[in-house]
Amino acid sequence: MLRGFLILTIFLVIGESLSFVLDWPVSGGILGMILMTLWLLTQSGAAGTDVGAASQQFISILVVLILPGVVGVFFLGGQFDGQWLAVGVALVFGTLASVATTMVLMMALLPKTLEKEQRD
Amino acid sequence: MTELFDRVQGLGAHLSDSPFLAIALTITTYFFGTRIFEKLERPVWCPPVVLSALLVAGALVLLSVDYVDYQKGAGWLTVLLGPATVALAVPLAQQIHHIRALWRPILITVPVAATLAVVYSVALAWWLGATPEVMASLAPKSVTAPIAIGITEQIGGSVALMMGGLLITGVMATLFVDLLVPRLGVDDERIIGFVLGVNAHAIGTVRAFEISHTAGAFASLGMGLTGVFTAICLPFAVEFLGGGIFNG
Repeated sequence: MLRGFLILTIFLVIGESLSFVLDWPVSGGILGMILMTLWLLTQSGAAGTDVGAASQQFISILVVLILPGVVGVFFLGGQFDGQWLAVGVALVFGTLASVATTMVLMMALLPKTLEKEQRD
Repeated sequence: MTELFDRVQGLGAHLSDSPFLAIALTITTYFFGTRIFEKLERPVWCPPVVLSALLVAGALVLLSVDYVDYQKGAGWLTVLLGPATVALAVPLAQQIHHIRALWRPILITVPVAATLAVVYSVALAWWLGATPEVMASLAPKSVTAPIAIGITEQIGGSVALMMGGLLITGVMATLFVDLLVPRLGVDDERIIGFVLGVNAHAIGTVRAFEISHTAGAFASLGMGLTGVFTAICLPFAVEFLGGGIFNG
């Protein structure tokens, strides 16, 4: 667990350093995640086990970690008065449009013949 | 006796000096929220985090603890979002082998779908006169929460508003998928899963795993790739559009 946590933290620090030094607007956590994905793809089985166990722990408590941010929704007060129509329309119709687009796109691009390959 | 009463009255403020009230409250309501969710037979329209957040909000009002103080204390928990975001690399790396078999449809769909998810909602909000802060809060709404928080902080949105929009998006996209699947005659679980992951982040992925393991795997992949693509491209796009809509 501790070894896995250390690996996660090291990737986070590397990501944070890259973001700062290159002055990129991308957060360190995301750069760390991308780098660790690439690193994991080069690892065969055993080496990724520690980090896999630690990651499992973190992913299982993700809801706890985002919860304080969600609570903020109930304390927005009048901060966005007059904006709610725009927010509502953007959420409902924006989401409907993007679900429909993704589905049609995938249907057009995914050849049915690949079905067999997938099952192998 | 009145002195004791005064001290009890001041308890909320005193406990807010250390982060542990906020941490205990957050974890307690997480368990209660999950329990209530199970009791309600796992409704898609009401994710457990919403139930838990309602309980926290109620408790803060009852204990007369200021939301800002709560957030300061809970910051000791939310700082873990950093390593937790890095941890998302593990499921992504596990699912990435699907790309090898289906690289063309996946690598075309993700950039197009993730871009359009942002463009549709920001354009609609802009058309209806939303402020730059509101548009920035809506932009990452299809991305999984830990990544979306990082994006929102980078592009100057409100994390609270973004979280509200993100949860509503997850719930609605899941319902829209259920509505559209029979109408468009989709019978491929890989497509259903992928569409759920790309548009409805973790909420859609949970739903996809209820359909089948294949749908769930494709949802995880879609969610991860959409998160990575949006996290890299959206902040740069906002930077390039510097004088554009996001800055009024």
